[in-house]
Amino acid sequence: MSGMSEMSAVWHPPADLVRRYATGGLDPVQVMSVEAHLARCGGCRTALPYEPEWLAESWERIEDVVDRPWPGLGVRVLCRFGVPEHVAGLLSATPSLSRAWLVAVISVLGFAVGSARVTSGDPDALLAFLVVAPVLPVAGVAMAYGRAVDPAYEMQAATPLSGSRLFLLRAVAVLTVALGLTAGATLLFPGPLGASAAWLLPALALSLGMLVLSGHLPPLLAGSLLAAGWFGAVLICDGVLHDRFLPFQPAAQGLYGVAVLVMLPLVCLRHRRLAPGEHQ
Amino acid sequence: MTVEVRGLAKRFGRTTVLDNVDLRVGPGVTGLLGPNGAGKTTLLRCLATTLAPDAGEISAFGLDPARHEQRTALRRRLGYLPQDPGFYPHFTVFELLDYVAILKELTDRSRRHREIRRVLAEVELADRARTKVRKLSGGMKQRLALAQTLIADPDLLVLDEPTVGLDPEQRMRFRALASRLGESRTVLLSTHQTEDVAALCERVIVLTAGRVVFDGTPEELAGVAAGRVWISDTPPAASTLFWRTADGRYRTLGECPPSGETVAPAIEDGYLLLLGATSANAGEGAA
Repeated sequence: MSGMSEMSAVWHPPADLVRRYATGGLDPVQVMSVEAHLARCGGCRTALPYEPEWLAESWERIEDVVDRPWPGLGVRVLCRFGVPEHVAGLLSATPSLSRAWLVAVISVLGFAVGSARVTSGDPDALLAFLVVAPVLPVAGVAMAYGRAVDPAYEMQAATPLSGSRLFLLRAVAVLTVALGLTAGATLLFPGPLGASAAWLLPALALSLGMLVLSGHLPPLLAGSLLAAGWFGAVLICDGVLHDRFLPFQPAAQGLYGVAVLVMLPLVCLRHRRLAPGEHQ
Repeated sequence: MTVEVRGLAKRFGRTTVLDNVDLRVGPGVTGLLGPNGAGKTTLLRCLATTLAPDAGEISAFGLDPARHEQRTALRRRLGYLPQDPGFYPHFTVFELLDYVAILKELTDRSRRHREIRRVLAEVELADRARTKVRKLSGGMKQRLALAQTLIADPDLLVLDEPTVGLDPEQRMRFRALASRLGESRTVLLSTHQTEDVAALCERVIVLTAGRVVFDGTPEELAGVAAGRVWISDTPPAASTLFWRTADGRYRTLGECPPSGETVAPAIEDGYLLLLGATSANAGEGAA
């Protein structure tokens, strides 16, 4: 036994065997044998031929897996919904997707639903919900991008993805979240679904109007103008025409529908020009 | 030439910030000197494609930033350090650089992270990768801002006051980094520090009131004051800019009297004379 130990201690795979191992020319049993020796013998491991670039890249990949910081909650949630990792990383900086903003939107919607439930479907509560709901996505897009709302705007404005591409990406994400949350609140609203969903077409029309205007104005200004216009129209309907629900009647809904049909192709055609506040 | 500017003009309201600026910048490190309000930042913002001029033309690598597609192409070759780089304070250092790397179209995660580690090592912030940006000191934030300009190895670096907030040792390290970058790239930096210009710039442009008043080598800028810097034992009588030096003598900028002892001028002397500082009150100049 001691003779065998001495033999295994001094035995090293011949150069030809090592070369065939490195080039993948050995059968599985020989591979296991050589690897068992390499695991114990530093000299043979060092002598094993290898490609430095491949090894460096492999180590880098391993280092990245081990040393990579854990992504933030927002990125993890977005990835869970199938958003590509780099897109999730981009969206994580959107001011109007921040935790504070989402809490504010959910609070507004929760208050609207709560007050409607407490007052058992009071028309005033419904009206307040219908008036405010279309402005939420517009406000989100207005706060999503631009010099006035983004602390790192100047730094990112000189990168190739800034401008229309980043704005559209953020706008779509914000619209999806805002419309989704508002739709969820609508389902919880007491009374017929048709009445409480009357905010949808005005919201779409205002959101598309926001995108169209942002090609000419900074988004914060565009959003402010649209919100002021919307609230002004609602006040006129109530104070002058004496019909509080006129903005949500079928005729008005038809107008919103036409506006959506007109603006949608405009946004698609001019999407490269939607560079809000940029290069001004 | 990497960058060519012709007849550039920019106004904010009634204030003319850039007035018919012409300049050409090639590979190497070029310094942009000028007093506050001279138009340095506006000029650099125009070159960095974040601000459109009112008139004039800019061409960088033959690309016209006024055209959308060419602007995007130029941004792929550009690294920009703004004067006041904003950050997302809740991001970590690594997350912020990751974000900028994605904006620079590095979508492959492994490649992106490799690039982030490289730039963190360049600015010696590797040990702060997981630190929240809001917890960094001013100097560290400036180094972080510098790191984001280096992502994707740009050919043109536009740096607006890169040494602000850096301590002397960090400034030395920045100079070493900038001069190394300038060996193969075009680096245009603005600064108030004439020492930075003397230490690392091959060329210096002086901007005042929105106009280029000097364009040459640092030695040529110092040469503007040749024969007009002199030492005396008593304060000069004329209304010139002077200060008392550590050895108790008076160093004066201005016409040298017959009894004066002229000394070799520094870049700062030439710069001050260009700005017309010799008309400043002598008492104000004494430190």
